[in-house]
Amino acid sequence: MHGAAVVVGVGESTYYKRGGAPISEFQLACDAIKNAVADAGLALADVDGLVSYMDRDEPVRLSAALGLGDLQFSAQTFGGGGNGSGAAVTLADAAITAGYAETVVVFRSLAQGQFHRYGRPSVGRRARGAAAYTAPYGMLSPAQITAMQTMRFMHDHGVSEDSLAEVVLTSFAHAQHNPRAIRYGTPLTREQYFASRWIAEPFRLYDCCPENDGAAAIVITTPERARDLAATPVAIVAAAHGLSHRDGVAAFGEENFPTAHYRTVARSLWQRAGVQPADIDVAQFYENFTGPVLMAIAEMGFCEPGELNAFVAGGALRAPHGRLPINTSGGNLGEAYIHGMGNVVEAVRQVRGDSTCQVPDVALSLSVSGPGFAPGSAVLFGPA
Amino acid sequence: MSGQHRLGPLPDDWTLPAVEAVNRAWFTSGAITLQQCAGCGTLQHPPEEICHVCGAMTFSPRAVAPTGIVHSYTVVHHSVHPSLDRAVPYAVVLVALDGAPGLRVVGNLLGVPVDEVAIGLPVVATWEELPPTDGEPLLLPQWQRQDQLPQQT
Repeated sequence: MHGAAVVVGVGESTYYKRGGAPISEFQLACDAIKNAVADAGLALADVDGLVSYMDRDEPVRLSAALGLGDLQFSAQTFGGGGNGSGAAVTLADAAITAGYAETVVVFRSLAQGQFHRYGRPSVGRRARGAAAYTAPYGMLSPAQITAMQTMRFMHDHGVSEDSLAEVVLTSFAHAQHNPRAIRYGTPLTREQYFASRWIAEPFRLYDCCPENDGAAAIVITTPERARDLAATPVAIVAAAHGLSHRDGVAAFGEENFPTAHYRTVARSLWQRAGVQPADIDVAQFYENFTGPVLMAIAEMGFCEPGELNAFVAGGALRAPHGRLPINTSGGNLGEAYIHGMGNVVEAVRQVRGDSTCQVPDVALSLSVSGPGFAPGSAVLFGPA
Repeated sequence: MSGQHRLGPLPDDWTLPAVEAVNRAWFTSGAITLQQCAGCGTLQHPPEEICHVCGAMTFSPRAVAPTGIVHSYTVVHHSVHPSLDRAVPYAVVLVALDGAPGLRVVGNLLGVPVDEVAIGLPVVATWEELPPTDGEPLLLPQWQRQDQLPQQT
């Protein structure tokens, strides 16, 4: 049994450019949680569970500071980075479905202005584990790592630079409708994209997500509890995370290299949901970098890798009427990089009907978490 | 900036591997020395503390041909640390080993202009001798074009 829980609230802090937040990462977390709980029409004392991924803001501290209810459940997922947002929803659903908690907030707070920047790895130390085989060669940032994956992927499948561009231009176009988005009011042209400097080939500047300060959260509870609330509940149709055995090998040793690590997630998610990729109305694909988004679209089964250029062309990714509108809030590239929690919030909003780039009549709204780093995760929402 | 003992593009104060039991042969042998399972003969890289096929935890070093093909690469233009500012642009390659199908190794491609780096280039290993990090001299595997040998460094 899974997917019994429902989402009843979403919220976020104000989103800032890196270093722009006037408050701390912990305070950003508190803001997002308070806003999500208020959106649900609940009190903070109603919250008895907290789930996150790779977060520094401990549930014990948050519970004490916010005056939550007696904490019944707290957890976060293993594994690197923004690939954990769907997994965190999975954990919350599991806890509620199993009865370990009634109302769980899934949150992520990230202030790269306060703490270290993901794009500025520490150097000069002894590299241990997987990094011993990559860092000595100047291969250490997420952009560089996913560039290595993407270069081979483009070579194998004839994926064009225009297709990379389409991911960026889609996010920026959608961000122009979203007042929360950091890129609101600053559109990007194809010419500006192609004129931007190289970061790590095949990635230019705009292929890469920004570093931001902010937090986002959703509130999940039982259908019974949701009946008392004013908010329209959103169902967790299915969620999945994981990877196949030899796709976790370090230093580009994956059996299926290059992979976004989404084959296993796709199989589990579609099986649990009983639907096909073609049934999906709108999707959020975590953009750490553009190449992995295309890899994830293919691995999730929306098209074959060799069909990607055609699949994304001609406005197919644009709301409201594209074949598969993606990243309708502006995504990580255009709205804010909150380690993908913003993508989850947007996927819920699309079901509720209150996105700033609303797709009509959404029955199935997908959020695919970070690609390129294992394990992957995804969650599928729909009307409750 | 590069010291005289460095072949690669990165500065002397750059990150070096910690030599541990599991990777000592890889980083000190001066050969493409892979980890071979003593139980079932499987080759694996990067080295691990257990064989992924049979679960054995003892291994023997196995040298394979020091040649391969560029399987993927990136040219890094954006320096992610001030000590790299003078190193960029530099190429990092992923080499598919001729002597161990399915296994791949990361390195820099030396002596090749970054705009000539390409998937499919045949390459051969060379070793950078670096100061000891844990008592033993490091011999860091790097790569050159096969058609550029021999090259004095």
